[in-house]
Amino acid sequence: MLAMVKGKWVYLVIAALLAFLILIPFDWFLGHYTTLMIFIGISTMVTVGLCLLMGYTGQVSLGQAAFYGLGAYFSAVLSKTYSVNPWLAMLIAAIATGAFAYVIGYPILRLRGNYLAMATLGLGLIMWILFGQLSQFTGGPDGMAGIPYLSIGGFVFDTSFKRYFLVWFFCLAILFISQNIVRSRSGRALRAIHGSEAAAESIGINVARFKVKIFVLSAVYASLAGSLFVHHLRFVSPQSFDFLASVKFVVMAVIGGLASIWGAIFGAGTTRMLSDELLLGFGEWDVVVYGAILVIVMIFMPEGLFVKLKELIGRWRLRYAERGSET
Amino acid sequence: MSADQFLQYLVSGLTQGSIYALVGLGFTIIYAVTRIINFAQGEFVMLGGMLSFTLACSAGIPLAPALLLSVLIAAAIGAIMYLLAIRTARKASVISLIITTIGVAIFIRGIAGVLWGVDYVRPPFFTGDESISFLGAYIHPQALWIIGTTLVVTILLHLFLTHTMVGKALKACAINPRASGLVGINTRAMSLIAFAIAAALGGIGGVVMAPLTLTSYNVGVMLGLKGFVAASIGGFKSPVAAVIGGLMLGIVESLAVGLDWGPFTSAYKDVIALVVLLLILVIRSGRLAAEEAG
Amino acid sequence: MSESILETKGLSKAFGGLVALDKLNLAIEKGTITAIIGPNGAGKTTLFNVITGVYPASDGEILFEGTPLKDAAPHKRAALGIARTFQNVLLFGNMTVLENIMTGQHPRSHYGFLGAALRLPRAHREEETISLNAMKYLNMVGLGTFAGQNAMSLPLGQQKLLAIARALATEPRLILLDEPGAGLNTLEKRELSDLIHRIRETGISVMLVEHDMPLVMGIAEWIIVLDSGQKIAEGTAAQVQKDQRVISAYLGEEED
Repeated sequence: MLAMVKGKWVYLVIAALLAFLILIPFDWFLGHYTTLMIFIGISTMVTVGLCLLMGYTGQVSLGQAAFYGLGAYFSAVLSKTYSVNPWLAMLIAAIATGAFAYVIGYPILRLRGNYLAMATLGLGLIMWILFGQLSQFTGGPDGMAGIPYLSIGGFVFDTSFKRYFLVWFFCLAILFISQNIVRSRSGRALRAIHGSEAAAESIGINVARFKVKIFVLSAVYASLAGSLFVHHLRFVSPQSFDFLASVKFVVMAVIGGLASIWGAIFGAGTTRMLSDELLLGFGEWDVVVYGAILVIVMIFMPEGLFVKLKELIGRWRLRYAERGSET
Repeated sequence: MSADQFLQYLVSGLTQGSIYALVGLGFTIIYAVTRIINFAQGEFVMLGGMLSFTLACSAGIPLAPALLLSVLIAAAIGAIMYLLAIRTARKASVISLIITTIGVAIFIRGIAGVLWGVDYVRPPFFTGDESISFLGAYIHPQALWIIGTTLVVTILLHLFLTHTMVGKALKACAINPRASGLVGINTRAMSLIAFAIAAALGGIGGVVMAPLTLTSYNVGVMLGLKGFVAASIGGFKSPVAAVIGGLMLGIVESLAVGLDWGPFTSAYKDVIALVVLLLILVIRSGRLAAEEAG
Repeated sequence: MSESILETKGLSKAFGGLVALDKLNLAIEKGTITAIIGPNGAGKTTLFNVITGVYPASDGEILFEGTPLKDAAPHKRAALGIARTFQNVLLFGNMTVLENIMTGQHPRSHYGFLGAALRLPRAHREEETISLNAMKYLNMVGLGTFAGQNAMSLPLGQQKLLAIARALATEPRLILLDEPGAGLNTLEKRELSDLIHRIRETGISVMLVEHDMPLVMGIAEWIIVLDSGQKIAEGTAAQVQKDQRVISAYLGEEED
């Protein structure tokens, strides 16, 4: 009897959260935060990929901004310079970025730990430099403007309100897909790789191929996010894809909990709120705060702030339930 | 390219490469003793330069003491980094340690940005600004200071590691941490010393380099990466190979820009180092992977 | 007329100048329990590593059910039907006991990222089969009550049983157990012997590396003795115990 009620509780919570999400962009509700929420949604998409890669499979990436940027620039250049349909451009961007990740994935993912970290760091920086230097395509260090909106038939995504729903549609779809993957045979394979590569191989898991697959998937997520980013801002420049951008994604993943898919929203949310709202007027202080967050979280709650909070809430609820049963 | 030009680029390459060598030494020492890659290594170079500027220019302290003080402060920060961030996280997973040192790196960078702003600063030259003519090339005295200091530091470090008790203890930790602990070497103290020395090396690099190349709060990332390339050439075990690696990287970069191959503008110069890094890592991945696992 | 499930012909493995396996010719009979024994450094674990593909052989060949393995990767050999456990257990510490075993079903299931992402019915069906099979192996090793616990929360003896269950979940025809008895108490060793017998009864051939002589003599139907990478003797427990070469090999070790 109690279990049935509990089951219904979960659905109620989900429905409430969804309703909340749907109502946010309305002016009479929290419309002021629509743009912030768009960026949170976009960041979440990248962060989920990073969680799958780092949290579940145990592969460090300090260069996710490279794929984010590739998606952004492919979409920008194809849709603006070559007048390709933005949706097609987004698809081509995702495929191209995925293919790129596939090609460099095999050699790079033979590295472990520190070396992989450095390699991905290097990769991120190479892409950032190229974004700025290949001016004939990318518009150079000053970037490109005038990128067209996405549209379906006559319906153009020309207001933040409309783009909010577009972004969150993609974001929730990615979260749903990722959660399904994590709970599946593939998810177990990824966690096995993180647990012990030798043991994983011994039970028939092709470790090298799985690592590359998840690397490619995270790159595709980031690419889609980059495309959406560019069709929202209508502007792209290398600044958005520097080392700090990659670090920010790591911060988001770490806060949300490396091995928590839904925690990615929490991580992206808190980090973006920090950078876009609270620390806006303080110059370089946001970097100081990110650094402090990374160190503190890694030392005291390596499973992530989100997961730690869930733990604390769980413990509180247990105590509350015990007290309730005593009366 | 004429012989004169070649010599000029060679000298400039050696100069730049000396800094990479010092950073590479820092990486090597910390990794050898603690098995940790210190992603904040480049930031100590930045700190060395920034501190020397503040102490020598803003605070009016005479040059030599200002330089010494800068290096000592950098070393102290390295020690503090170990005590606060690393010692407690020692047993953590590799990913945790990586993220932790990155956190420290950007924390230091952020503080520097807050304290010094985003502009470039230039501390005073050690012995003036007049280039010396040598075999058809012009060498700036500061460049001589850079190359000379790196040489001296490398030799001193080598002597330290082979002839002093502490140095030999450090080497022992590098070879076998557990055995060292068993024979009574305080491995935690050794780790602390390793961090302090590495930070000092970075600081020295920053102090000699800043007058010539200018410095600002964000030079740490690239320098750190290039120092990492230098260290990886030495397999993170051989200080000498790290120094040679750093020098070679500097020379290759300089010549590539000088020879004007294709699109190699100075921004592409950085790409060279990064591509070299990736190639080294990938080519050695077999051996590196085995070491990491074993 | 007995068939070999595994044969090695002239199998050699050298690490630089060090010869770990020296032109080994072995034949493991199908459906038997074979023990590989020998003093330390004899090359026993190296043999397992070469058979499972962790190290490539320097020379010679390995035939599994008559087909040469060549340089097949470890995961392919697992799919072919060779399973193993490790000396240092190597459980997946980030999973529960049951999940560890479910992961072992990997080579016998097929749905991939796409099926998982879209929750296709085939994925659902395979998941049910995987869960059922995993429970079966869990119960076979006697760990049924621990299904939901984190794998590392078990004491060593039970962790080793879990590792065996995980290997069994790959539905192998040959299982290699690397020092399954190390660190176990007498009761646990007896349970281990029973388990190995039950495994053999299901038709799986067993090879084990062991140092515990009573355990080995109790369950092994055939014993192969290695020393310095060479086979110095083989036979039944009774034969091997009386073999002069075996005795001197072990005595030589004790003198060191």
